[in-house]
Amino acid sequence: MFRHLSWRRVGLLAIGGAVTVALVIAALFGPAITPLSPLEISVADRLQPPSAAHWLGTDELGRDTFSRTIYAARISVQVAAVAVGIGLIGGILIGLSSAYFGGAWDMTFMRGMDLVYAFPAVLLAIVIMAGLGTSMANAMIAIGIIFIPGFARLARATAQGVLRQQYIEAALSIGVSTPRLLFREILPNIATPLMVQAAIGFAYAVLVESALSFLGLGAQPPEPSWGVMINEGRGQMAAAPWLGIVPGAAIFISVLGFNMLGDGLRDFFDPQLRD
Amino acid sequence: MIQFIAARLAAYVPTLFGVSIVLFLAINVVPGSPAQASLGINATPEAIARFEREHGLDRPLHEQYVSWLARVLQGDFGSSFQAGVPVGPELMSRLFVTLELAIFAFLIANLIAVPLGCLAAYYHQRPADNAFILLATLMGALPNFWLATLLILLLTVTLHWLPPGGYVPFAEDPGRNLMLMVMPAISLGVVSSALLLRIMRTSMIEVFSSDYIRTAVAKGARRGVVIWRHALRNALIPYLTVGAVEFSLLFGGVVIIENIFLLPGVGQLALIGITQRDYPLLLASVLLIAVVVMTANLIVDVIGASLDPRRVRTAGGE
Repeated sequence: MFRHLSWRRVGLLAIGGAVTVALVIAALFGPAITPLSPLEISVADRLQPPSAAHWLGTDELGRDTFSRTIYAARISVQVAAVAVGIGLIGGILIGLSSAYFGGAWDMTFMRGMDLVYAFPAVLLAIVIMAGLGTSMANAMIAIGIIFIPGFARLARATAQGVLRQQYIEAALSIGVSTPRLLFREILPNIATPLMVQAAIGFAYAVLVESALSFLGLGAQPPEPSWGVMINEGRGQMAAAPWLGIVPGAAIFISVLGFNMLGDGLRDFFDPQLRD
Repeated sequence: MIQFIAARLAAYVPTLFGVSIVLFLAINVVPGSPAQASLGINATPEAIARFEREHGLDRPLHEQYVSWLARVLQGDFGSSFQAGVPVGPELMSRLFVTLELAIFAFLIANLIAVPLGCLAAYYHQRPADNAFILLATLMGALPNFWLATLLILLLTVTLHWLPPGGYVPFAEDPGRNLMLMVMPAISLGVVSSALLLRIMRTSMIEVFSSDYIRTAVAKGARRGVVIWRHALRNALIPYLTVGAVEFSLLFGGVVIIENIFLLPGVGQLALIGITQRDYPLLLASVLLIAVVVMTANLIVDVIGASLDPRRVRTAGGE
């Protein structure tokens, strides 16, 4: 297995992994990393450029941009984890059952998934948010729902391959129950492509969450979210350009990191897919 | 070919019905009254009941759907809850803005992806190839609204080259129209070009390894002739399919970009529909975008089939 390792793959995995770990650390230990409150208003310090006291400057209410950026990582990681979790669970249930039962069950679910694909994903998330109402929790649900078709298709396609294996026939012949067959025999064997897809899903979830928050549909001010911060910073572009640059760079680095991790994992587990 | 188009059209209509059901359910199935949102938190129960009766919101969901669909099929998208004006004419006047933005952005995406993808394939596994892959990775990670913000910072705030936003119809002032469209289209197009570049590269690598290209090279054909005349046409077939998907994804960004650059398009209307819970506005604008996306996919399917007749035979079961 390790003969597949090359500098390119190691680089992708290392950089992607490092960014992911840094994000998780920022999300878990935000208060320890930055002593300044992300919400504390200080009118005397408003629109300060980057300095020793405020590494990334302050916003129009005098709040520390570095603290807000670090705290916002928590929201992004939280949303991405829950959304990918919803997408994975929903996708696995639909994909596995479609592959296993086939026939009308399979056709109904897969045509339903095709319908969801007719909408641009961000637009569908926005429509779902319209029904659910604007909040962080609803953003997680909406993003999770738009992930389900992708995971379902992947789970179904890979499970169909596994179902043709002899050990599945053997398990069926000795009377293994359907849930046990699906979740103990098939699921572990389709986990790798799902894991790769999940890493890429994390990147997309961060993007969609920040887009929803940017539009005012996700995190609500004064809650620090990268999308909210860019939107607030747009009004101060001439006086304080860092307010638009810093949170965007945080999204960019996170998405890049998750994508590289996904690409690295894919190259590692299936080098043939590289091109 | 006619059979192929007929089969695609036959699948198009039921899908469109399905899409309308998904859309209607997504918006209406969750509790929460649009009447409350329209009338404000101080609305009396009587006022809410009257609003729901007037707009048919007190009827069962399936009845609401059937009557909405019947009206839509006659071209009547209902009236805005807030403004009280018919949605249809408003929608049509905005469609041109959105289409112009999407097509302009898609053009930019292809202008980046096709030449760079071809060059990356030509220099496969050499430093130039790695540089183009890195570029695609970087472009793919850019949030379009951040790129838009950076463009405004550079081209408007710092250099004063372009106006920050607004819209002038092309027919009225073509120069001003293009100036106003440049930044929105780049914001969408650059991000979209990332996936297209990778697909073009992969398709071209496959085509370059085929016998007829090796023959062309062996006969001494010039590099440009091999790439543009011999290889590109065949590499375009898988590229077109992904291009249709990317065009669809691009419409997701339209909502955000129209909002940033104050473009009066369908995406902006959808956002107004959501923030004000104005369901007729929201339903009509999202349905229209879905129709545009599905139609683009249909057209690409037909173009792809005309480029690759094997596809027609496979789909037609011949």
